[in-house]
Amino acid sequence: MKSVRQNIQWFAASCGACLLTGVLAAPAFAQDIKLGVHTTLSGPASTWGKAMVGAAELAADDVNSRGGLEVAGTKHKVVVSSYDDNYKANDAVTAMTRLISDDNISFVVGPLGSAPALAVLPMTTESKVITMTMAFSPKVIGKEFPYSFRPVITTEEFAEPQTAWVVGRLKIKRVGGLFPNDESGQQMAMATVKAYGKAGANFDTREFFERERTDFLPLLTRMFAKNIDAIDLNGMSPTSAGLIVKQAREMGFKGPIIRTGGDATADIVKVAGLANSEGLYVHQPIDPSAPKVAAYAKRFTDKYKVDMNAFSPMFYANVQVLFAAMQRAGTTTDTTKIGDAIAALSGFDSVIGNVSWTGEQRYGIKRQIDAPFYIGQIKNGKSVIVASCSTRGCE
Amino acid sequence: MSFSALLGQAVVNGLILGMLYMLVAVGFTLAFGMMRIVNFAHGEFYMVGAYTAFFLVTVWDVPFVLALLAAGLATGLLGAVFERLVFQRFYGDELNGMIVAIGVSVILQNAALLVWGPTARTLQSPFEGVVAVGELMLSRERLFALACAAVIFLAFWVVMMRTQFGRAVRALAQDKEVALMQGVRANRIYPLAFGVAVGLAATAGALMAPIFSVSPYAGVAPMLKAFVVVILGGLGSIPGAVVGGILLGLVESLAGTLLGSTTADVLQLALVIAILLFRPWGLLGRQEREG
Repeated sequence: MKSVRQNIQWFAASCGACLLTGVLAAPAFAQDIKLGVHTTLSGPASTWGKAMVGAAELAADDVNSRGGLEVAGTKHKVVVSSYDDNYKANDAVTAMTRLISDDNISFVVGPLGSAPALAVLPMTTESKVITMTMAFSPKVIGKEFPYSFRPVITTEEFAEPQTAWVVGRLKIKRVGGLFPNDESGQQMAMATVKAYGKAGANFDTREFFERERTDFLPLLTRMFAKNIDAIDLNGMSPTSAGLIVKQAREMGFKGPIIRTGGDATADIVKVAGLANSEGLYVHQPIDPSAPKVAAYAKRFTDKYKVDMNAFSPMFYANVQVLFAAMQRAGTTTDTTKIGDAIAALSGFDSVIGNVSWTGEQRYGIKRQIDAPFYIGQIKNGKSVIVASCSTRGCE
Repeated sequence: MSFSALLGQAVVNGLILGMLYMLVAVGFTLAFGMMRIVNFAHGEFYMVGAYTAFFLVTVWDVPFVLALLAAGLATGLLGAVFERLVFQRFYGDELNGMIVAIGVSVILQNAALLVWGPTARTLQSPFEGVVAVGELMLSRERLFALACAAVIFLAFWVVMMRTQFGRAVRALAQDKEVALMQGVRANRIYPLAFGVAVGLAATAGALMAPIFSVSPYAGVAPMLKAFVVVILGGLGSIPGAVVGGILLGLVESLAGTLLGSTTADVLQLALVIAILLFRPWGLLGRQEREG
């Protein structure tokens, strides 16, 4: 016979189990807008992944603090669910399946990398899920993928104007670069080599490396043997870029180093050190001194206790665009109407300035963000803007 | 740069790299040789050592050399705790031991990610700048790491060859039953030896922190290299880890410099396959008797 104490324990355990099951199985309210984040939350690319999660959560906080997003007279709360794709195509498919099938989500911030993005595109297109990818591959947007939007400026867009400005200013003739040995790296190599060629410099040596590599001395020795004037860091991961800067300077390389890729300034300075990173030219997707960006960066740092990566406000801006498009389309469920409303937005006042959509010429469809960007030079560990750019040129 | 200088630079880079690989691989091969545990968490203990040194130097202003020793000792202690709580149940059970080690590796890596975040950090090296020898450029911090690796390995070798603890470890590795009959107290030796193996990984992590940065994933690449090194040298063989480490460093550096990264990666793996095909017990490993 059970003692009273055992019965109480059994009852308490049953109640706990019921509560737990209830909490786990509780559906979101019918009126909720479910926003998924499909990104990389582990590994070297997680700096960008956390930036994307932060953008979605902060944008959701904004509307939830006002009682929800008002669409066609009804207020909707925004609920965010995040999944890790490990920067791998297989895991990306699993994560997207969970977002679409289990969580019934139609709006996704991500995927991050090109391989994951290409892997899930057929699925998201068939399910009419709007995605906001950071993948740099030109293949992730196109007429056949009308629900795929790219809210970041990629090498395809910024390489030519940035390189033309840097080559002209530094009078560079011979350039060398190391690229990650995957889809993103191959695409970056093509765009970067083409951009330097157009600017009048020879991209004499390009090497591909596995993303896990930490020792670049053999590859740098090989590059330096070809007497290059400058090194281009393209859009490789921040840690790899920092290690290359550090090891190149250790080997006595004194020429210019240029980052023709996504924001990685804070990480490059942390890894390479203040002295080694001094004078580096970097692509700057945002102006950190702009009041709206500075306020966003403070919110991000206050909430997550880490430095904000510059891609975060771009995704935050894109979620703002998504919410505005829902209001204009008068629906939170018809992704075709919402997608059309996103593409139709022009000069939208966002955290990163006025944004519009472009891409008809290059990709055959308006799904590429058109926003201002900048060239910075690292001085004392901080990027100081030295040129303001658009896809048409820098000045 | 002339071809001879290029070759010289590649050889020097390879030797330095090889010595660092050797230091990581020695602990890995010790754990396998003695306990038959393929410790896939070895890289994460390397990472813990790197973080320990990082915080000791940057937060508490501990001199780097002391931080190096403290990182080895503290992480070695952590390793001994893991040995008692987890690994001791899997001695001789290579498959399950390997799965458990992968589990420990994932736990440690994600714990580091949660606690310290994904951002890589760098540790200021006590030796910066380069030494120019003719056309060769030698990084001071790498030369310092090379010297430290050599001293640490020599100390480890003396302990293994000249002390009662070392003799007990070798006896257990060679024949556990005979060692037990001779009065070796395995319950005391195993956690100590596992702690030493893990401590070596942590010291290597601390030593390489100024060179390669510190992040939750800092141990992934060294772990893979250590695995290749022990396959080359022979699982369980300490001299094999030395030969394998230097060989891998030289192949990686020479092939990377002369032929490019992709070819270098292919050559390294081709070397491993060749060893497994023609000498599966490694260059200096012992051939296991069947039956």
